[in-house]
Amino acid sequence: MSLLEVKDLRVSYGSIEAIKGISLVVEEGQVVTLIGTNGAGKTTTLRTLSGLLRPTAGEVYFDGQRLDGTAAHEVVMRGIAHSPEGRRIFPLMTVEENLELGAYSRKGMSPAEDIKKVFERFPRLEERRAQKAGTLSGGEQQMLAIGRALMSRPRLLMLDEPSMGLSPIMIQLIFDTIAELKSTGTTILLVEQNASAALALADVGYVLETGKMVLSGTGKDLLTDEKVRKAYLGED
Amino acid sequence: MQLFMQQLVNGVVLGATYGLVALGYTMVYGIVQLINFAHGEIFMLGGFGALFTYTVLLPSGTPVVLALILMLLGGMAVSVTAAVIMERFAYRPLRGAPRLAPLITALGVSIFLQELVRNFYPAKSPRPFPQLIPPDYLINLGGGVTINAPKLVTVIAAVVGMVALSTFVRSSRTGRAMQATAQDPDTARLMGIDTDRIIVTAFVLGASLAAVSGLSNGLQFGTVDPRMGALTGVKAFTAAVLGGIGNISGAVLGGFLLGIVEVMATQYAPSPLSGGAWANAWGFVVLILVLVFRPNGLLGERVAARA
Amino acid sequence: MSRDLSPKSLLGVAGAVATAVACFLPWSLYAGFPGKMLNTGFPGGARMYVLLLALAAGAVLLLDPPGRVRGLRAASVWALVISLLTALLIGYAGGGLGNVAAGAWIAVAGSAALTASAYLLDASSDRDRRVWSLPDADWRMPAEIVITLAMAGLALYVFVVGLGIPTSNVASGPDHTFRDAISLNDVTNGSEFLAFLFGIIGLFLVAGRIGLTASLGAITQRRRPALVTGATLAAIAFPFTQDGSPYALRIAASIGVFAAAAVGLNVVVGLAGLLDLGYIAFFGVGAYFAAIYSGSTTSPIHVHLPFFLVIVLGALVAAVFGFVLGAPTLRLRGDYLAIVTLGFGEIFRISVNNLDGQSGPSLTNGPNGISNIPDLGLPGGFSFGDNHHLFGVPLPFQANYFFLEIVLVAAVMVAFLRLSDSRIGRAWVAIREDELAAAATGINTTRLKLLAFGLGATLAGAAGTVDAHVVKVAAPDSFTFIESTLLLAAVILGGMGTVPGALLGASVVYLLPEQLRFLHDLRLLVFGLVLILMMRLRPEGLVPSKRRQREFRERDDKSGALDPPPGAHA
Repeated sequence: MSLLEVKDLRVSYGSIEAIKGISLVVEEGQVVTLIGTNGAGKTTTLRTLSGLLRPTAGEVYFDGQRLDGTAAHEVVMRGIAHSPEGRRIFPLMTVEENLELGAYSRKGMSPAEDIKKVFERFPRLEERRAQKAGTLSGGEQQMLAIGRALMSRPRLLMLDEPSMGLSPIMIQLIFDTIAELKSTGTTILLVEQNASAALALADVGYVLETGKMVLSGTGKDLLTDEKVRKAYLGED
Repeated sequence: MQLFMQQLVNGVVLGATYGLVALGYTMVYGIVQLINFAHGEIFMLGGFGALFTYTVLLPSGTPVVLALILMLLGGMAVSVTAAVIMERFAYRPLRGAPRLAPLITALGVSIFLQELVRNFYPAKSPRPFPQLIPPDYLINLGGGVTINAPKLVTVIAAVVGMVALSTFVRSSRTGRAMQATAQDPDTARLMGIDTDRIIVTAFVLGASLAAVSGLSNGLQFGTVDPRMGALTGVKAFTAAVLGGIGNISGAVLGGFLLGIVEVMATQYAPSPLSGGAWANAWGFVVLILVLVFRPNGLLGERVAARA
Repeated sequence: MSRDLSPKSLLGVAGAVATAVACFLPWSLYAGFPGKMLNTGFPGGARMYVLLLALAAGAVLLLDPPGRVRGLRAASVWALVISLLTALLIGYAGGGLGNVAAGAWIAVAGSAALTASAYLLDASSDRDRRVWSLPDADWRMPAEIVITLAMAGLALYVFVVGLGIPTSNVASGPDHTFRDAISLNDVTNGSEFLAFLFGIIGLFLVAGRIGLTASLGAITQRRRPALVTGATLAAIAFPFTQDGSPYALRIAASIGVFAAAAVGLNVVVGLAGLLDLGYIAFFGVGAYFAAIYSGSTTSPIHVHLPFFLVIVLGALVAAVFGFVLGAPTLRLRGDYLAIVTLGFGEIFRISVNNLDGQSGPSLTNGPNGISNIPDLGLPGGFSFGDNHHLFGVPLPFQANYFFLEIVLVAAVMVAFLRLSDSRIGRAWVAIREDELAAAATGINTTRLKLLAFGLGATLAGAAGTVDAHVVKVAAPDSFTFIESTLLLAAVILGGMGTVPGALLGASVVYLLPEQLRFLHDLRLLVFGLVLILMMRLRPEGLVPSKRRQREFRERDDKSGALDPPPGAHA
């Protein structure tokens, strides 16, 4: 049984259909990436999976059970964490408070141990633990967003454009982090515009174009696919 | 000097009434950026709920303290019920609607609640409120300055309400969730926060405090009137803005300032602009002046501010 | 177009036919019921609206337009509501259900069948609504013009009918000085108006759901000159439909003033996005100026300026107030401006209440206000206080003021349209949508906001001077916070940023409480409820601007999002 299975999903904004029937599968322990240009529907897909948007048609199964129609705050309880596009940390709260909110869904359990783990992974955050999150640099905010998502101990981690707007050094650090998470067995659904880095990491990749799935395959295959190289890796 | 001190006390008392209602405005605004103009009516309903409890539910001869407690609970029950229904059926469907649509809804709710009480509350208008604590039961504050018991209770309630609410928002789990919802509702949902429930909680807390104010208002003035929510509502909103809307301490501080200004202007403003007739105008003059020099209110925005 | 002949559909067709036929049969055996319910043949009263809804339902069922099932639901439910309500009230008024004639029961049964069919059919099979347009042929332009003119005529007709329905035969005097509870008898008196109201709502919903409203809106937008001509003709024609009765004219003139102010407020709120809760104060400044300087006996200043000068100066004084208030406060964020304007409105009301020579300088005659403002006159001896006969139709003197109102509304409308199509207007819209971005493109936001605020105040002042002459009195009670919010309600209900919206909104907000008088003390209660329901059903307003409608629809499905996600988190 797959961890996540999406069947013929459709999502509309009013009368405009943004996702026109896509299907995808994420197996336990895999890193799966969704690539595509701006407006292809990658973010919409993640927002729908995490319950922020309602699909107009299609089915989503998580761990064998129906997921679509579940309210966003319950999706987290089911074991899916979503680190949204643009990081969206709570700017007026401290780093530590942000992390504590990441564990909000695990009611009654102390977050201390998990916070310690996040700090081990990102020592920079520990230095800034009492600082307002809005004053962090972009890269630090991204670490915080990933750390906050990990706080709920998710079975599936969804990362939306974690490298967006970051310096090359930071991008490297973020991708190293994802690789490390993969090596410890975390299941990840990764949305990226940085297609080559994402595909190099991914077990499976899907290519989205204007709301439709146009291509899928293993990360390696897609990386060598001529069409992908032309369209997304900037080669001609 | 004695007159001045006495007027200061009176101003603080008036301000406490505003401040208690202002807390509701500030919390709801802080979380959903909605100016809930119907909140004044929630205050009015608190007074009527307390009156109803006393005249209909309580047997005569109930000890005063017990009666007061039960009246407060009755008032809160009415206020909270109205606020929850209002949130669920009038405001919630409008989330994501154009910014001004909920404002008209608020106006509709306000008219509706006022008229509902005016038409269906079974008694004459204005309704006499039981004088459980004799108004001449005065507490001496020294130097000839006095305050009567219901007024003292109102001031204490405002301060306690403010402290309790700030502590709650700052350190409780639900309070944290409130802050998160205020800063970024979508991301708050991704954390597992049921934002709908958080918003209802804000309405409930605001309604409870408004009910306290409604009861104490009835005890102070000896009447309740279906129309009393409108002016108090506007004043309380003014107080919230004065203090910096979204800021909990600011709401009560703004209330005190507004109350003191109104009382002092009545007494000391240059003739012919003194006297009760001009008091309300002076309150707004001070509001405009404060905003010109401190555009975010006295304490600035806290809960409300988004990046 | 696939014909749906399933049993569910056929049930609906049968229901529609039965309902329509029933409308030609008598509904009442009791003669005292309003709305001509006794005769066989062409229907009157409530039957007319049930018939229209039944026909609409039948047409939607058979023609299968986009939004078929949802349109059908609107038509059938409202037909059922009207027929059932009417039947029960006939029974009540006549003293027993025996007075309800078979026709009414057939209509109830028919519309019930129709409703059942509408809810049995699957709404998710509805095609998305779309905007129709006429084929691109030679006759397209004339046809569109005819349609546009017809729309104006229809609007006039609906207005006349709505105003003309008697809602009260209670002969207990014009004003109820004591608290009087509503009885079912009052509802009976109002039943025809309720049927009219529900009928209009039902038809409007049907038209909206099948895309007719959007299509007609697109056509009338394209033919703006025809729309303006048609609307003007309809407005001029109105006094001639009243058969010399001043009642409706007086209301219409008040609606005119209200509408002019609403269009002015629309500059501030609709175009520039500034929330003004004290707008009525600027209107009041104009009204008081006119009252004081027009030779009223109760004015403390015995100066009688000519009317045109009063308009200009009144508008200027209001403008000065606008700029003085706006200059320091427009730096504030939107919701703070709201409370400041609210405060200014209160200060104004308190001031005019107290500038009576006792608690303040003598200027406004205090709570009594300045009354007995003399009638206007034109050079050549024409007095606005005279009754006239024109084309054999008696026109009471109120008609003169009504025509003056048309000129005022037209002037304000022209000002609004000119502004909204100008460079300034586009800058305002930019500020409204995103002030930071607008500032970044080089727009001087503070100056432009001040301009919007000041112009709004100027228009309000001008409208106020005219109003003082129409109602002949300026008193503090007319300029309260509730008046400001009602104006705002008119703008938002109608649809922000559009002229037809403001006019329609003003009519609804003014007319509805007026015609709901049969509800006595429950009038405002119902009005409050109507505001809540309207915002829930059409939060973007009755006639939203094209842009705004688009924005809103796109936002629709972000279920639970409290606000559009803030752009940048720094």
